Amino acid sequence: MFRRSGRLVPALVLACVCAYSCSRTSAPESADQAKAAVPGRAPSPGDQPVNADAKAVAGFLDRINQYVALHQKLENSLPKLSKESTPEQIDKHQRALTQMLQDARKDAKPGDLFTPESQVVFKQLLAKVFGGPDGAALKASVMDENPGVPSLKVNDRYPDNVPVSTIPPQVLEGLPKLPEEMEFRFVGNDLILMDTHAHMIADFVKNAFPQ
Amino acid sequence: MIRHNDMLKASSAAALVFALVLVGQGATRLQQAAQPAQPGAALALTVPNKEDSLKFAVLGDFGTGSKQQYELAAQMKRVHDQFPFELVTLVGDNLYGSERPQDFRKKFEDPYKSLLDAGVKFYASLGNHDDPQEQRNYKLFNMDGKQYYTFKPSTKQSVRFFVLESSYLKPEQIAWFEKELQASDSDWKIPYFHHPPYSSGERHGSDTQMRDVLEPLFLKYNVSVVLTGHDHFYERTKPQKGIVYFVCGSGGQLRKGNLDKRTGLTAAGNDQDQSFMIAEINGDQMWFNAISRMGQVFDSGVITRRK
Repeated sequence: MFRRSGRLVPALVLACVCAYSCSRTSAPESADQAKAAVPGRAPSPGDQPVNADAKAVAGFLDRINQYVALHQKLENSLPKLSKESTPEQIDKHQRALTQMLQDARKDAKPGDLFTPESQVVFKQLLAKVFGGPDGAALKASVMDENPGVPSLKVNDRYPDNVPVSTIPPQVLEGLPKLPEEMEFRFVGNDLILMDTHAHMIADFVKNAFPQ
Repeated sequence: MIRHNDMLKASSAAALVFALVLVGQGATRLQQAAQPAQPGAALALTVPNKEDSLKFAVLGDFGTGSKQQYELAAQMKRVHDQFPFELVTLVGDNLYGSERPQDFRKKFEDPYKSLLDAGVKFYASLGNHDDPQEQRNYKLFNMDGKQYYTFKPSTKQSVRFFVLESSYLKPEQIAWFEKELQASDSDWKIPYFHHPPYSSGERHGSDTQMRDVLEPLFLKYNVSVVLTGHDHFYERTKPQKGIVYFVCGSGGQLRKGNLDKRTGLTAAGNDQDQSFMIAEINGDQMWFNAISRMGQVFDSGVITRRK
């Protein structure tokens, strides 16, 4: 699996990003065109599928970069943690960062980072990974101790009593690379963007698992 | 190559009501709870305890704050009095539930205070219950702000540990791991992390996806021993392609009866009491003892490193 489809998906991401950066001017401009570009849908004349997906992924990464810039600006305004920091200082730092991010993004809503266009691409990427011969085993690994949470909200602290899901390397290899501050995790069937320093849910995609 | 003594070695001081049930080949299981070994009585350790050895302990899935965690911690101190291990490798799930400052005290600093006071260092890996930001910056976990890292414990023996974040094995981490393995000239390269590539746990079991990625590296760079947790029991596997995998996931948690004897993986196991492991490396050999909360040495042996 890892050697077969595991290589295919990153190749798709890479192709998307390269195509986007190399030929931005020819990228489709609408979400419809992006959707039409998704593997599995019949392309129509004039579709440029790679560019459509690339634009969606690049748009997602742009949003992530903006988020991380805000994150870093806010975190840099806090007293730095040192090797001698106490649990009190670490905890205070984390909760202060969470509060500042929540204040700065008080109007944040689902889809601000995972744009609608990128959600389509993410679902396709995940469908490729989980639709392969080892898909059931990969899903079992993700769902191990992954009970979900009753109500997922942007800007919420990740619940302390809910373990984080494991994301197998074969899945991570198929997703865009994130800055150090961010991680992909699953909560139930939903894919979340976790701000690891703030222990906070930055955005999510509902029902990201292929059905 | 491994020689082992799978018979449970009851401490002479242990008042006990226990029975052995064979689990797979050569495995042991405590069927009934034993009474704790008496404080002050010597434990029946079978490690050579040489002056110039590297001595360490392995503990996982412990941070519950429960009475059982504290009792096991007390046994660890008793063992340390006889066998002065210099460090403890933590195989993840270091704090369950809330991770407020008081939790670090109740679930870590208080139970292991006597070991910390004795200068024992704890080197943590992260489990799926752990908050990376809180723990990697926590001085007493010695992670130096990193989610994965490597360290060489002492100059006495040629040993290097590789600490992975197994719930999020991103490509950069795997590339880092291979680079570090390649660069290491240590005789013993010991990876440890939370999720077990081989386990007989009915609840979790073997993480085959991770195994597909990591096992080729273990084989390529002559890893002999891998330390893990996640399943809440003790298990030592039969050598898998020459590598022995330990699951030490009952440092506070315990999932009784969860060892599935049908897997054929188990060389020895204990799913009836909390436990931890000690190990001693000298030259090409690693001796180990697994010790229960009641002070029983229920598994022991010696592993010769792969070359």
